[in-house]
Amino acid sequence: MRLTDVLLLATLVFSIGLYGVLTRRHAVALLLSIELMANAANVVFVAFATLRGGPGEALVLFALVVTVSEVAVGLALVMLLYRRHGDTVLDLARETKH
Amino acid sequence: MNASVLLGGMALGAPALAALLLVLVPWVRHRGVPAAAVTIAGSLVATAAAAKLVLDRGLGAPDVRVTTPWLRAQGQTLAEVGLQLDGISVVMLLVVTVVALCVQVFSLEYMREETPRSYGRYFAYHALFLFSMNLLVLAPNLLQLFAGWELVGVTSYLLIGFYFAKPSAARAAVKAFWMTKLADMGFLFGLLLLFASTGSFEWTVAASPTVATAVTALLFVAVVGKSAQFPLHVWLPDAMEGPTPVSALLHAATMVAAGVYMLVRADPLFVRAPATRELMLWVGTATAAFAALLALVQTDIKKVLAYSTCSQLGLMVAAIGAGSAFAGFFHLGTHAFFKALLFLAAGSVIHAVHSNELGAMGGLGRRMPLTSAVFLVGALSLAGVPGFAGFASKDLVLSSVEGKAGWVPWVLLMASAFLTALYMGRVLIKAFLGPPSPAAAHAHEPGLSMTGPLVLLAVPAVFAGFLGTWLAHSVGADYHLHLGLTPVVASAAALLGLAAAGLVFGAGRSAPWAAVLESLDRRGLVDRAWEALYRQVLLRVSGWARWVDRYLVDGVINALGWSTLEAGSAVRPLQTGRTRDYVFAVMVGALVLAWLGGWR
Repeated sequence: MRLTDVLLLATLVFSIGLYGVLTRRHAVALLLSIELMANAANVVFVAFATLRGGPGEALVLFALVVTVSEVAVGLALVMLLYRRHGDTVLDLARETKH
Repeated sequence: MNASVLLGGMALGAPALAALLLVLVPWVRHRGVPAAAVTIAGSLVATAAAAKLVLDRGLGAPDVRVTTPWLRAQGQTLAEVGLQLDGISVVMLLVVTVVALCVQVFSLEYMREETPRSYGRYFAYHALFLFSMNLLVLAPNLLQLFAGWELVGVTSYLLIGFYFAKPSAARAAVKAFWMTKLADMGFLFGLLLLFASTGSFEWTVAASPTVATAVTALLFVAVVGKSAQFPLHVWLPDAMEGPTPVSALLHAATMVAAGVYMLVRADPLFVRAPATRELMLWVGTATAAFAALLALVQTDIKKVLAYSTCSQLGLMVAAIGAGSAFAGFFHLGTHAFFKALLFLAAGSVIHAVHSNELGAMGGLGRRMPLTSAVFLVGALSLAGVPGFAGFASKDLVLSSVEGKAGWVPWVLLMASAFLTALYMGRVLIKAFLGPPSPAAAHAHEPGLSMTGPLVLLAVPAVFAGFLGTWLAHSVGADYHLHLGLTPVVASAAALLGLAAAGLVFGAGRSAPWAAVLESLDRRGLVDRAWEALYRQVLLRVSGWARWVDRYLVDGVINALGWSTLEAGSAVRPLQTGRTRDYVFAVMVGALVLAWLGGWR
């Protein structure tokens, strides 16, 4: 297993996540896509830690914690969005402009 | 600390404290009488300090000068403030404080019919005035003198406009303020020029003749305004709208004399500028003669005295221009006493008959013997009858111009001395002799608070002239009474003037050329000239300035504001409020950064 293969995998996962962020209309799907992007980064950490050494694995644990918190906040926002507009379509949240 | 410095500080500090108290504690000011007590207490302290200073001076106290740095910049002291206690300032201080005290005591009764609030306000202004004037008198350099100069200008404005509900008084106050402020620009520019070229505000600085001429010419412009010299004299007769004691103190004895005082102080500078002195000689002479003519036809007793003040200040300026600062200073001192006396006596008359018009008076000699007697003393002193204070100083003034500029100033000043006697004779006859008018029939002497100061001022109005030798010694000038051409002619002019007044006005006639003069006066030629200048020049320039301000200065500002708003509207659509657009922007940004960061 070569580093290049793992990096290609990570890039693929990240791109899928990015595509999802840019195209999905629902907030939950958006959160899932963000999760994908974050995990792509985690894969890169682990790959470098395994093949080259270094503290990457420890950093992954931190990253996971951060991601969990982020998801918690994100889900709370989704709840609010739903209460406010009766749906979780993100485009309803135009309050940032007004 | 030196004893005389302490005394000087008291002369300055007591009125300042009184003014401060009256400004900061409305409770006292609004009660009226306590305010008067505070002011008079301050003046009493100042007068006592001044008297002690003069006394010490007589016993041989030396000149004292203490200064403290002021306006520090870049480690250097730009200017100093402090006290200068020498012969000139100490004597002037005594004159100012004594006259101020007399006037304030006089006002106690004169202003009694005012409401307590107005009464308190009046005395608060008086305390402020005395402080400002003392600041001016004790100034060790031109900068502090300028500060005092402007402060007395402000108090003059406040006191002329004391009856501010009366439109004519408000107008007169504004007019006086503008005329003197216009002239004060000369003082300011003179100071700046002096500092720029010599780095000092001292009057003793060794300036080159060119600089000295320019600076003194500018300073003299300010004097023309403050001391009501032709052609800026027009504010002084109007200033008579103020209460009569104010006219006595500010517009006769002290404040208008500040111009002359400055000339005396800055004499070392003027010595280096013969051209300015020549100008002073002519301006002073012209004012003396011109104002004396106008005084002859006034029907308002205060205006007669106002023009007379212009005329006498002209004498002083002419004397200083002729090179004798001491003569000017001596006349300034005696004039302060007898003119304050005349004004206060006139105030007593006005108080009794409730009118300023000479026509409403007449026959007051029998009704008000004391007032009449002191007025007579003042008038004789002003006319320059031998033996009175006015004679001694006027004689010195006239001697100083003897033979100058082809005798023309001498002749003109002699003529104005004759006219002075003539118009004072006219006032004496119209107000105090003859049959009493209806208003005068019930006139009676005022109370002690008014007669006291009158009697007190009558003493120096007679005897101050005998102090000439001592005064000259004290300020380091050379003077002794002499018998020559000038005193003889001057005495003759005074006596002839009085006699002529008796002949012309005693018979109920008016001066033969009065019709011409009156029409001249009524047209107010100088006034009109200033008004035209105001309309044609000042208003037009202001119009241009307004255009520049509105369309150029404001235009630039408005254009800036407008372009900012427009730019904002142009970029506003970028903010869509849609989360995906923002994510897209972040991604593009990340790509751009990556590309810039070497991913190429």
